[in-house]
Amino acid sequence: MAAPVGNDSSRIRLFHLALALFALALVGRAGQVQLWQGAEWARRAARQHVKAAEIPPLRGDILDATGFPLVESRELVQLRVAPRELRDRRALARVLARAGVPAATVKRATDPKRAWVTIPGRFLPTDVAAATAMRGVYTEPAPERVVTRSPGMQRIVGRVGGDGAPVDGLELALDSVLRGVKGAASVVRDARGRSFESPTAPGVAALQGHTVVLTINYALQEIADRALAEAATRMGAEGGDIVVLDPRDGAVLAMASRRPGADAVSATALTEPFEPGSTLKPFIAAALLERGRARPDEVVETHDGRWEYNGRVITDSHKAERMTLAEVIQQSSNIGIVQFAERLSPQEEFETLRDIGVGTPTGVPYPSEAAGILKAPERWSRPTAASMAMGYEVTVTPLQLAAAYAAIANGGELLEPALVKEVRSRDGEVLFRHERRAVRRVMRPETARAVRDMLVGTVANGTAVDADLATFDVAGKTGTARRTAPGRGYVARHYTASFVGLFPAQDPQYVVLVKLDNPVGAYYGGKTAAPISKVVLEAAIAARDAALDRGALARVGRPRPAPADTLPPDTVRLAADVAPPDSAASVPFVVNLAEPAKARPVVLPMRPVPDVRGQPVRAAARALHQAGFRVVLGTGTPGATVPAAGTLARAGTVVRLLRHP
Amino acid sequence: MKRRKARGRSQVALVLVAFVLVAAGVIWRRSYGIAQSREIRLLDRDRAQLVALRAKLEGDIRTLAARGTLAPVAEQRLRMHVPHDSQVVIIQRTARGSARR
Repeated sequence: MAAPVGNDSSRIRLFHLALALFALALVGRAGQVQLWQGAEWARRAARQHVKAAEIPPLRGDILDATGFPLVESRELVQLRVAPRELRDRRALARVLARAGVPAATVKRATDPKRAWVTIPGRFLPTDVAAATAMRGVYTEPAPERVVTRSPGMQRIVGRVGGDGAPVDGLELALDSVLRGVKGAASVVRDARGRSFESPTAPGVAALQGHTVVLTINYALQEIADRALAEAATRMGAEGGDIVVLDPRDGAVLAMASRRPGADAVSATALTEPFEPGSTLKPFIAAALLERGRARPDEVVETHDGRWEYNGRVITDSHKAERMTLAEVIQQSSNIGIVQFAERLSPQEEFETLRDIGVGTPTGVPYPSEAAGILKAPERWSRPTAASMAMGYEVTVTPLQLAAAYAAIANGGELLEPALVKEVRSRDGEVLFRHERRAVRRVMRPETARAVRDMLVGTVANGTAVDADLATFDVAGKTGTARRTAPGRGYVARHYTASFVGLFPAQDPQYVVLVKLDNPVGAYYGGKTAAPISKVVLEAAIAARDAALDRGALARVGRPRPAPADTLPPDTVRLAADVAPPDSAASVPFVVNLAEPAKARPVVLPMRPVPDVRGQPVRAAARALHQAGFRVVLGTGTPGATVPAAGTLARAGTVVRLLRHP
Repeated sequence: MKRRKARGRSQVALVLVAFVLVAAGVIWRRSYGIAQSREIRLLDRDRAQLVALRAKLEGDIRTLAARGTLAPVAEQRLRMHVPHDSQVVIIQRTARGSARR
């Protein structure tokens, strides 16, 4: 083959030159794209192919003192469907229907005219696993907080909103501990739009929040919840609180609260102060003993239950000409305690109440804990000193009062109550541990012992015999205080009934505070709150683990009485009903309150007909039914009942509920 | 001259073959990694599903075993009641018993 010559050769060179220039242009452009603009193009590519996803952390668990989970997080999923991408609509419809999705939503989710449907609600991943494997079904993690069913616990731990943010309770107070650390993941999308975690850019895992161990004992909490619910229903009370505290280290072992209405969600034992009434008297007695101003056997005139003082008439339910200081506490004499309190100056009385914690929040990690009210002496009126000695013109939260009684129980030290026992990291490392912390010494051990002896007498033969146990000594004090209403002052026939007990009296392991708001019928603390304390203690003694040192209990137990189980259980309880009532309800006003009937029917259970006025018929019927009555409807004054509210009637009695004709 | 040309071509061919092999290896490794990543993701999802199911079942057991659920049943159907304190016997551990433990 002959070599090209002439024009051919020059054309070939020209062609080669063009190829070379083209190649040079390609190399130049490649250099420009790769070297000069490389970073920008890489960013653009990453934006299209790689997506940074935020991984929400699971909130930490909340456990009780024994490790029982009270609140835990679990990961549910939310479903989103692109109906046009679906291949098998019927299969999806079947899976969604099985998962409990309403038929209308299923129809929408499988309607090809729609582009995007979000299925309301959150689902257990295993329930919708078949759906999530389908093309056109997208999932999003939706962490859920699962709280134990105890209503008292729900009030303590609080709530978390749908967005995972805490709303109230411990969830809010301990959010920084519980919330955890967000994670991040790089998700790569392939040509079909499917996404998967980038193998070259591994993400950062989310870290679950710390575990919070509470001082609450769940077994005891359940006992308190149930006792309060049953008592409130049986007695027609508007609400109530039970606090159980360990006086040895200040640990809150149980805290049950009950208020009407779905909006009442806070732990009212921490947030709602009340006038404690006679439960404050032992601290006045302690102040007198501490300062050497009185002896337990010192006598004052109690004027047969009626005494005019500073222009007011003060009355006692237990009428006597004279009483010792110990009897004043045991019989809850208003006349006696006012006379003894005169030996304290206003400043001393103020300091006594201030030192036991009145007017200062206890410091437990709970949002909106109330401080209570304690007025400085400069703001006192003429009758304030006497009123305070009887537990009026001063307010405390149930927890504050329980903590104050813990000082009597433990030999005189006011301890800081604790709700959180430990905080543990996700690796199990203990980050915080509650240590017993004494706020101050409020009385000497001898004084505490003397006051405790008086309180033993209150339960043994005073106003609180209904709290007594057969085999253990219990110390305690009842209180019955009139209640106020906004703008109306003290309201007739509205009472707060309370009892604070120390168990066992010799070496207390529990301080049990029971408070009932507006019990219907018998409203004295000794008749309403004290028996609930007994119910709680009996159930705690019988429970497998209710934070009791049984060895110590066995050492202080009384000799066992004759077998009580030969009598019906309720008959045994009836034997205590002959006790004189707590007298504090008659102060500080000139009102002689009728004593509760001493002659009780022999056969129990008798219970007051609840007051259902103002409630819808359905709710009223339910309340009556829950109280143990049979309900028939009649016509008349709406909400009225026959027998009338407050009347004691046997369980199963037919109650006629009246409504509009 | 001819021999040098032939050696040059074979060198180019070798480089090309090596390039193809290396590129194939890189693509295989990447595809394998992506497949493994997808597998891990599926397993992770399964694990999360099972953890959630376990949490639900444990919660159900706790609810059913709770005093609030059991006590009414025991009282109404089995006629049981919470014993009085006098009906509970606390057995003190003897010194020998505690030493053995």
